[in-house]
Amino acid sequence: MSSRARTTARRPLLSNFVCKTVMALTGLIFSAFVLVHMVGNLKVYLGGEHFNDYAHWLREAFEPVLPYEGLLWVLRLALLASLAGHVACAALLWRRARVARGPVRRRHAGWRSFTARTMPVTGLVLLFFVIFHVLDLTTGTAPAASGGFEAATVNTSHAYENLVASFQRPLAGLFYALAMIVLGLHVAHGLWAAANDLGATGRRFRQVAVVVSGVVALVIMLGNISIPIFVLIGVLK
Amino acid sequence: MKLTLKIWRQDSAQAAGRFESYSLDGAGEEFTLLEALDKLNDTLVETGQVPVSFDSDCREGICGSCGVTVDGVPHGPIANTPSCRQHLRSFTDGSTVTLEPFRSGAFPVVRDLAVDRSGLDRIIEGGGYVSIDAGTATDADAHQVSHETAEAALDFAACIGCGACVAACPNGSASLFTGAKLMHLTLLPTTRQERGQRAVGMTEAMDEEFGPCSVIGECVEVCPAGIPLTAIAGLNREKLRSVLRGKAS
Ligand code: HEM
Ligand code: SF4
Ligand code: FES
Repeated sequence: MSSRARTTARRPLLSNFVCKTVMALTGLIFSAFVLVHMVGNLKVYLGGEHFNDYAHWLREAFEPVLPYEGLLWVLRLALLASLAGHVACAALLWRRARVARGPVRRRHAGWRSFTARTMPVTGLVLLFFVIFHVLDLTTGTAPAASGGFEAATVNTSHAYENLVASFQRPLAGLFYALAMIVLGLHVAHGLWAAANDLGATGRRFRQVAVVVSGVVALVIMLGNISIPIFVLIGVLK
Repeated sequence: MKLTLKIWRQDSAQAAGRFESYSLDGAGEEFTLLEALDKLNDTLVETGQVPVSFDSDCREGICGSCGVTVDGVPHGPIANTPSCRQHLRSFTDGSTVTLEPFRSGAFPVVRDLAVDRSGLDRIIEGGGYVSIDAGTATDADAHQVSHETAEAALDFAACIGCGACVAACPNGSASLFTGAKLMHLTLLPTTRQERGQRAVGMTEAMDEEFGPCSVIGECVEVCPAGIPLTAIAGLNREKLRSVLRGKAS
């Protein structure tokens, strides 16, 4: 009988606890960001001018305390660092889980754990989406961006026109809608996982956390998804 | 009733395993799964074959010795029920039932359906005990513990250490077990001096052999003691507390 010898020798530099805490905190940062980002996106319904003014304001916010695009760069760097931490820890945990599981796959008990089991998959789709999204509407790099992309200048932004031009391509609009469903799934389980990873034991708090996770995910998903749909059916143009 | 039992046979941890089919005749619906295996083994012994190895002891759901995977589900088709309390009435007459050992990287097969779950003992060695001389029983009121707290501690203490949570987990995580074993102590005042070091020690021992928790929740579907996911949040809370506090207590 082989009783496994205790391997006190090597302890990984980043323990599971560190990885989980990093994932939870960066995941919460992302969730807060996508929620605020969605509220900003909904300004498309107030008209192109209003939307472009908002996009322009983001660039010159808090001048002269911050330089031009200062706020944007603070956010970009914070999000980039979070993304690096989130993805690196996800990869480490995924690897360790595979080793611990052993060669035999589990037969899963049903749909209740669907969002949880698909976290690595939805996460990878999101990673691809994030890259595509930046190339499409921030840098305007073809083929992600539409032919009509116009970069922002110091005086004005063409965010509204760029957005509509991008979503008028059916494949791009559809991909955005699909990515938002995937985002909803990821956030729904992610927020609940974060509550657990950060040690939420109170009964009341846990009940609230379950509901908030679902509602926030649904709001982010539906709020964003409405935009490509309204562009595709020609309401936004 | 008549069943075909498709059973995992493996001679040792090193040997390659294989499924073998046996037909079991004349077992009653009221038989437990383990009694069905007993009956099969009687026939195997009578015909000069090697009986199927499996673990069991109390056969009333309190010791945590038993545990086989039935049609892919640790313990069997009835949720939150140990293998020794699963009955043949859950299966339709004439059907095929697949029996495998608890599957996990941390549970090497000893023989057939019996696995080595001593990794769970090593988690307890990491700090799942109280190192004070308790002496004789103290006065009932010496430590003020509210009714709710006492009940919660008892609920976590219900874990029988069967390892089904690990076998159910796609990550091979022992977080439900460790959380239960940590929280039933942590909630009580007599264990306070070691609160921090217990959380660190048990977490480290757990991470050496078992996987990380992704809050998937398959464990609570099979746990015969009904341990809730709150145990895992408690484990994380205690670990976080010890890191922020940096003390043994
Ligand atoms: C906007 C983007 C994202 C948001 C809002 C987000 C949010 C979250 C949150 C809150 C968690 C819970 C962390 C925890 O376990 O406590 C999580 C987990 C996870 N995320 Fe993300 N995430 C995002 C992007 C990504 C990306 C790009 C990946 C790429 C691989 C990814 C992969 C994962 C995985 C695998 C987990 C589960 C980790 C585990 O518990 O084993 N996420 N995410
Ligand atoms: S937590 Fe439940 S499933 Fe896990 S070892 Fe304890 S009793 Fe068994
Ligand atoms: S044999 Fe004791 S719990 Fe099943």
